[in-house]
Formats: sequence, C-alpha cells, structure tokens
Amino acid sequence: MVGQMFVRFILLQKRLLKKGGFLLMLCLAPLLSAGVGRLSAEPAGIAVIALYLPEGDEASQEISERLLDGGGVLRYLPCGDGEKARALVDTGEADAAWIFPEDLSKRLEELGNKRRVRPVVTVVERRDSVPLILGREILASAIYPFFSYRVYEGYVRGELGLSEMTDEELRRVYDSVAVEGSLFQMVYPDKTPGEAEDFTYVQAPLRGILAIWLTFVGLSAALWFMRDEERGVYGRLPVTKHLSVSYISGAAYLLDAAVVLLLSCKLAGVFTDWKKEVVCCAVFAACVLAFANLLRMLCRTPRGLSMTFLPLLAAMLALCPVFVNLQYFRAGKLLLPPWYYLQSIHNARYLYEMAAYTAIMVLLSALLQRLQSNRR
Amino acid sequence: MKQTGAYFLAQLKRAARLLPGQILADFAVCACAGALAFLLIAQGASAAEGTRYRIGMVGDLSDSYLGFGIAAVQEMDDSRFMIELLPMSEQEAEAAFARGELYAVMRVPEGLMESIVYGENDKFVTYTAAQGQQGLGTMVMGEITDVASTLVTCSQSAIYAMQRTLADQGRGEEIGWETDKLNLALIQMVLSRGGFSEVEVLGYGDGLSLELYYFCGMILLFLLLSGLLNSALFVRGGGAFSCFLKARGVGALRQVLGEYFAYLLLVMAGLFVLCLPLTFGLERELVGIPEWEGMGAAPFLAFLPVLFPVTAMFAALQLFLFEAADGIVNGILLQLICGIGMGYLSGFFYPSAFFPEKMRAFGELLPSGAAQRFAQAGALGKIPAAAWMTVFAWLAVFLALTALVRRNRMR
Repeated sequence: MVGQMFVRFILLQKRLLKKGGFLLMLCLAPLLSAGVGRLSAEPAGIAVIALYLPEGDEASQEISERLLDGGGVLRYLPCGDGEKARALVDTGEADAAWIFPEDLSKRLEELGNKRRVRPVVTVVERRDSVPLILGREILASAIYPFFSYRVYEGYVRGELGLSEMTDEELRRVYDSVAVEGSLFQMVYPDKTPGEAEDFTYVQAPLRGILAIWLTFVGLSAALWFMRDEERGVYGRLPVTKHLSVSYISGAAYLLDAAVVLLLSCKLAGVFTDWKKEVVCCAVFAACVLAFANLLRMLCRTPRGLSMTFLPLLAAMLALCPVFVNLQYFRAGKLLLPPWYYLQSIHNARYLYEMAAYTAIMVLLSALLQRLQSNRR
Repeated sequence: MKQTGAYFLAQLKRAARLLPGQILADFAVCACAGALAFLLIAQGASAAEGTRYRIGMVGDLSDSYLGFGIAAVQEMDDSRFMIELLPMSEQEAEAAFARGELYAVMRVPEGLMESIVYGENDKFVTYTAAQGQQGLGTMVMGEITDVASTLVTCSQSAIYAMQRTLADQGRGEEIGWETDKLNLALIQMVLSRGGFSEVEVLGYGDGLSLELYYFCGMILLFLLLSGLLNSALFVRGGGAFSCFLKARGVGALRQVLGEYFAYLLLVMAGLFVLCLPLTFGLERELVGIPEWEGMGAAPFLAFLPVLFPVTAMFAALQLFLFEAADGIVNGILLQLICGIGMGYLSGFFYPSAFFPEKMRAFGELLPSGAAQRFAQAGALGKIPAAAWMTVFAWLAVFLALTALVRRNRMR
C-alpha cells in the first residue's frame, strides 16, 4: 500500500517536473525574493525628510550625527540651504523639511538655561501623516540630548550657584555618569531577541507573500486533480479512494513548492533557523493540503473552485499579517492556513494550533467523502 | 474576417457563461473589502479619540514613579494619540494577546525603577509584538522605544551629573530636594518636546493624498488579479482546435484577438461590478477621498474612463500569462505570483516612496508601474503622452507575444 503510494507520488513528480510552465512558476518565487532581498539593501524610508542643518554649529553637528548615522525608518536628504529643503517638499521629492536656524546652539543654550521648550526647528510638510508625526518624535529625541545637557549646565550654574565651574569641569562630571543604551528590547514569544533578525520592512512582507503563494499551489493542485478526475484518470479507482489519491497528488505539488518556499525565504533574508523553518513549513504544507482538498470537495466543480480564488486571496492579503496586522476578524483569521504559518515562526503555540486545524480538516474531508460517496 | 468574427462571438458566449459566477465573486471581494474598510475607518475614529495601539503592561508596576510615568503617557504625552497603555496581570495579557486584542505586551522586570534610579540600566523592558515576524509595525514600534529610551537616559544623565556635582562640592544634604526640582523640570520639558518644532503645512501640492493613492492602487490590484477569477475561460484541450481554426483561415493573431476582445469585455464587466459599491460609497461619503470631498461620486465617474486603457493592458497581460503557462493550473500560479509581485514592486501595497531608489525605478518599468502612473496622472486630470504610449506599448507587446506563443504551439 505504502509502496504503491510512493510509486504514484514519484510518477506524479516526474509528470510535473517535465512541465516547463510549472518550472517557470517555481522559479519566479525565488527570483522575486532574491531581487527584493538584494534591492532592499539600498537606503529607504517610510518618509523622506529634506534636512537643512547649518555647518560649523556644535548642536547641528551632534543632531546630524544622530539622524544620519542612526539607520531607522526615515530617509534623509541633506540640503545646502533652507530654501532648497522647502523646494523639495514643494515638488514632492520630500515629505517634509526640517530647517534648523543658523544659531541653533545659541538658541538651545538659552532655552536650556531658562528650562523652557520653544520652537527651534521649522518643519515644512505637504500634509500631516502618521510617518511625519513619528518623524517629529525622532526629531525631538535628536535635539533632546544636546538640550538636556544645557539644562544641566544652566541648573548647576544658575540654581546651584556654581557659576565658577568651567565648561570642561561640567562636561567631565556629565561624561563620568552619562547613561547610555536602550531600556527596551523587542523579543518574540519564543524569547528570541528582535535584533537576532536583521532585515528591513521592504523584505518583511516576502514571507507572507510566499505563504499565500504556497496556499495557491495547494489550491491549484486540487484544481489539477479535479481536471484529472473529469478526464477519467482515476476512473479505475473506487470513489472511496479518491481522497487519499488527491492527497498524494497535492503532496507532489506541495513538496516542490515547500522546498522553493524555504529557498526563497533564505534568499529574501527572512530565514530564521533550519529546524524551525523546516518544521513550520512541513506542517504548513500539510495544512494547505488538507485545506485545499476540503475546499475542493465543498466546491465540487473546477469552475466553482476557481471562483473562490480571488475572494480567498483578498481575505488572505487583508487578514494575514503580510502588509498590515489588523486586530479584527480573528474568526476569519483562524480559517486561513497562512495566518497560522506566519504566527508559528516565533510562537510554537500556533504550530500546534495549525496541526490541530489540519487534523480537523482531514476529519471533515473524510466525513464529506463518505457522505458524497453514499449519495452516489 | 467573417470567421474571425464568428470565433469572437463563440468566445463571447463562453465568457458570458462565466459572468454570473464572476459577479458573485466580485461582490464577495467587495464585501470583504467593504467590511475591512469599515473596520479601518472605525479604527481611525478610535485613534482620533486617543486609542490606537492597545499595549498591555505587565510585570512589576508597583513603583509610584512608574505609575506616574504611565499616567503621564496616558494623560499628557503626545504619544497618547498613538498608543493606549493597559496595566494588567500576566494571565490577562496572555489571554488578551491570544484573542488578538493587544498589539503588543510590555513586560516590566522586577527592580526596573531601582536600576534606573541608580543609573545601572541593566534591566530591559521587553515587548512582544503580536505580528509573526518583524514587520513595518514592529519596526515603527522600535523607533518609538528608541525615542523613549533617549528621553529617559538623557534625563537620567543630567540628574546624576547634577547629583555628582553637589556631592563633589560637599553639599550632599541638598541632593534630594534639588533632584526633585530638576526631575520635575525635565519631565515637564519631555512632555512638551513637541514644542521644539513649528509646523508649516503646504497642502497637497501636485501630488496625490494617501487615500486617493490607495484608492487607485486597490482598483489596479483588483484588475491585475482578476485573471484568477476568469481562469475557467482558459481551459483548453491541447492545440488541435487552434490548428483546426488555422486550417479554416483563422491564424494565430486572429485567434488571439478574437479571444482577447471577448476576455476584455469580461474584465470590463468585472470593473463595472466593482464600480457599483464604490460609487455608492462615494455618494454616501462612506469612502473619504480628500481631493473629492463634498463632490459625491461625480469625480470618480469622470475618472472611470481612465481605467479602460489600463484594463485593456492588464487583460492582455493575463491572456499572455495563461498562454505562456501551458495549462490552467500553472496559469493561475503565474497570475498570482506576477500579480502580487508586480503589485508589491509598483507600490500597490506600500507607497512606492517607501522603497529604495533602484527598486522604485524597477517597479515603474513594470506594466503595473505604467498602470499606476497612468491612473495617478488620470486622477490628477493630466495624462502625459508618455504614459499613454507606455500603456499601449505594453498592450501591443503582450498581444504580439501571445500570438507568437500560439503560433509556436500550433507548429
């Protein structure tokens, strides 16, 4: 029995790998991943900021280092003067301009001494948006280190009456106690630190795209099986065995696609570690196989099945954390295999849930198969 | 010519048989999109009321300074418009996190405040985001936590330096009082940090608002992926029928044109079905596009003809992909990977401005990029000649390639 299944599986593989169209389809996924992975190394940002900082000013120098050397989600375009920065916003080449005054250090020093916050930067925007609100937070945090030092300096000389202390003495004391480093650390539910994975937001949706692609490979395999059924390829087999044969036929497709998915994740730069990836991918492929076959049995005709593709795709794009992560429709999410897979990479709980979901679908398929064969 | 016409009519009949199913599926897509849009609008409305991302706070929250910090963030800080901090127990947080009610969970370790007060900073507030792997949301959250870290550590440095100065001067007894004074001054300044900048808003200029950008992008994505709905039309029984047609005087190009025009009408029908809920939404002001505000559906109906050339180009692309894929199953997968891949690179999901320069340039070269530029220019009311030419060049290329593949197959 197992030997027969294996022979059938190998024959199906042979049939598949002879098809140029299938190979072309398999090649496109790693090509897209490698391309995006490579191109994402270039600088990018969710908002482009035209930056004018006066040269030779101490505060400008410090703020410029913080902004330009820090990476982050904003992209900066340093400009020679304020008017040029404003013009870039006007023409749409930048989303906002941050124009600093020529006497920035002096103004921050005055404000620090008075312990007051007043406008020192002119922010020019085409229209306010969430990335630009975040940008203003980043701007404030770039100004704050210089400003807080001036507050300390002013406080010691003014409030404490130690006006005789020199700049060097104040700096020496400050540097000796300065606190550095982050207070926050991102961790995944499996306790892996966020920094363990180094990729940009441009690469981030690729795993989701590949997961949706694999789901559609499963659905296409089901469609392929239906077409073969219509052509009488399985005519000699008893109807009760059609379900197990459909699993073998789908597995032939999904095995190749799962290998391509792993390779594509590696090429895209979103790969974690082999063991975790292989286990998650194997359970996901089994889940897709069960999902696609249940849908095949519910839809009954190839046309009916193919009509579900676009609504399904829309649901997956919207509900699975590929581009956005909505906090709604949890019931809808629970029906979609890619959702489990995307969550399972860093949370073993979803891996077990995916396995349970697969088992439920296999049971439902077997039940449906029995009902349908009884009717015939 | 007569035979080509007859072939077109036969294809049209095949396409018409698919129409009822297609209309149903279109409405299902519209219902999904409508429900999501409604929820997003609701989310936007709740953001305006002060709650955007719900973050569960667990762990050692007993310290009064920390309690004050959370209260300050909730009541006074600018970030209250972006996040809502919810102190809760570990169990409650786990349950809410599993139900998808929290965007992230922040864990405050025991002794965090002592670590900060004594300048050790050896304990981290860890946060776990609900999203599977890192995405744009978690990266933005990383930026927010970096901002918070900078504000805290710089304030700490100023306070410790002041304390050290007093200690060096032999005025240790004043440290407590002066620390409270400087602390309060710094907290006040941190809370009013938004005041460092003066914002000047220029208006829209010559660009599109994000709403109109996504409105165009989503319609284009629908058109680009509509081949998935119509796949049943491309079920063929080998090349024998094509050879038979050729023998009757209908060559490869004529066959392709006959099939193309019938298919185009089917895709157009899908576009009109999509337009019904959009027109309704715009008329009732359920869909908010700043550029079209207060004008009902009239600007959209004027914009609709702009989509026809783009629809014609995408229909040719889909026909070519099904022809090149040799079989419906591979055709569907090619449609999917090309549709999502092109859509992503051309900025249908994230604005293309988010991408690196080279990636953006590549995305613009693709047919989807040409369509995006065409539609955006159309939405602004001025389509340059170059945009027209690019769309029609792609259309001609796809039809020619399809005919070439068909001719080769017949041989």
